[in-house]
Amino acid sequence: MSEEEKMEVISSPVSTIDVDHLAERVFQECINILGGLRKLTYYRNLTWLPSLAEAAYVVVLKGELFKTNREIAEELGITEQTVKNILQANEKEVERYITGEVEKIDEHKAGGIAKLAYKKVKRERGIFIKEDELDVLGIAWALMVLIRLRGADFPLDKEELKTRLKDIVIKGVPSEQIIEKMRFPVNSPAEVLHQIKELTE
Amino acid sequence: MKKEFYELYELKSKAVKLFGISTGTKLDEMFWRVEREGENFVKKPLGGLPFLSVMNITGLPDSGKSVLAEQFAIVQASKDYKVLFVTVESPADFLYTSMKAKADYLGVDFSKVLKNIVVIDASMNDELRENPKALMDTMAYAIREKHTSNVVIDSITGLYEHKEVMARQIVRVFFNFLKKWRQTGIFISQKRSAQIAESAEAAGGLAVAHIVDGTIVLDKKLITTKWESNLYNLPIGSVLRTIRIDGCRLTGHDSRTWVFEITPGGTINIISPLEEYILKKGG
Repeated sequence: MSEEEKMEVISSPVSTIDVDHLAERVFQECINILGGLRKLTYYRNLTWLPSLAEAAYVVVLKGELFKTNREIAEELGITEQTVKNILQANEKEVERYITGEVEKIDEHKAGGIAKLAYKKVKRERGIFIKEDELDVLGIAWALMVLIRLRGADFPLDKEELKTRLKDIVIKGVPSEQIIEKMRFPVNSPAEVLHQIKELTE
Repeated sequence: MKKEFYELYELKSKAVKLFGISTGTKLDEMFWRVEREGENFVKKPLGGLPFLSVMNITGLPDSGKSVLAEQFAIVQASKDYKVLFVTVESPADFLYTSMKAKADYLGVDFSKVLKNIVVIDASMNDELRENPKALMDTMAYAIREKHTSNVVIDSITGLYEHKEVMARQIVRVFFNFLKKWRQTGIFISQKRSAQIAESAEAAGGLAVAHIVDGTIVLDKKLITTKWESNLYNLPIGSVLRTIRIDGCRLTGHDSRTWVFEITPGGTINIISPLEEYILKKGG
């Protein structure tokens, strides 16, 4: 068959869903909804975590891959009834319970929280970029800088920034050299990125 | 922020125009709109399936569903409209052979068909079949990059083959997907053995029929008794094929049962309404 006689056929997906990554994000959001890991520790509620992880997977497998309750139960090694309870949980009721509006509910709490978290994660539509993809885009350094700046108390002075960005090499230049040329104080992570970008272009 | 509600008059500018997308069969004359001419209302054939509709074609095995869908794709391609053909049942190589034979028989320039039809072969790829989001992403890519205006999914049933309990959910997301991307669509859906042949019901129950804009039912009847043989004036052992628009929420349509044949070239030829066919045949 010549090239001209070929029909255009797409035989594999152009993108795939990373279910594990999405479930992890939903799980993280569940913890955020509950006020963070520290709060869970404080109220001795760490035993909730396995149920939240389970519920996060259930809502993602249902919402993204349209799996049946039985398929989800088999995949996660739980009962079909548990899957059903999670998916039928009334998230509004659970939300009222978390905020203290009501003291007791009959809903599957982890299920309701996971459903709230899944909606939030979907609404925010974050983009997941892998490390090698960041390298291709030439912005891997920006992620590294942001990770190091996590929790920083802005504004930062030169010494504080040097300590945080120690040993990072940005576009082949040690961060210390770049920081020497920066204007201080810097007021936000965005400003740090902006100045570094200007100085390395 | 997106508006939560509209006053009806605000939708005037968004209203979809009512015209037909040709199937290359007599079905084109079986959808109509009604226009006022002086004191009278007159039926005007649309010339095809309603633009931007998503139609469900259902029927028993080998009743001609795929034949109709392929003919629709070929006719649209011959008019230089791009078609995305998602094949879930027949591998793409077989689809090629089938379309080439039909195009030749219909006297259509096959190079136009090749140029204007993009195929997603989900028949050989588990992820495309099992993961609706992956398939929709791939379809979105094809629609965006190839500028298609029509989509055929043959069959939608293949996307929930072993989990019919999910039929409603899966059909709904694909229906919404085609609406969002402004495509005129055809879903082929298979019947199960317990379902009444001439009904709109298909695998997954009435889910498909309830969600889509309209359903076309294809049926075939094996002539087995002397009485049927006399009625249809057909020899015992022959097959009588029928087609019927079961419903369409977008526009007026002929609701009669029509007789059709699958030509030697593998195309659909709709002959006449069943009642006229019987009268003509002297039954």
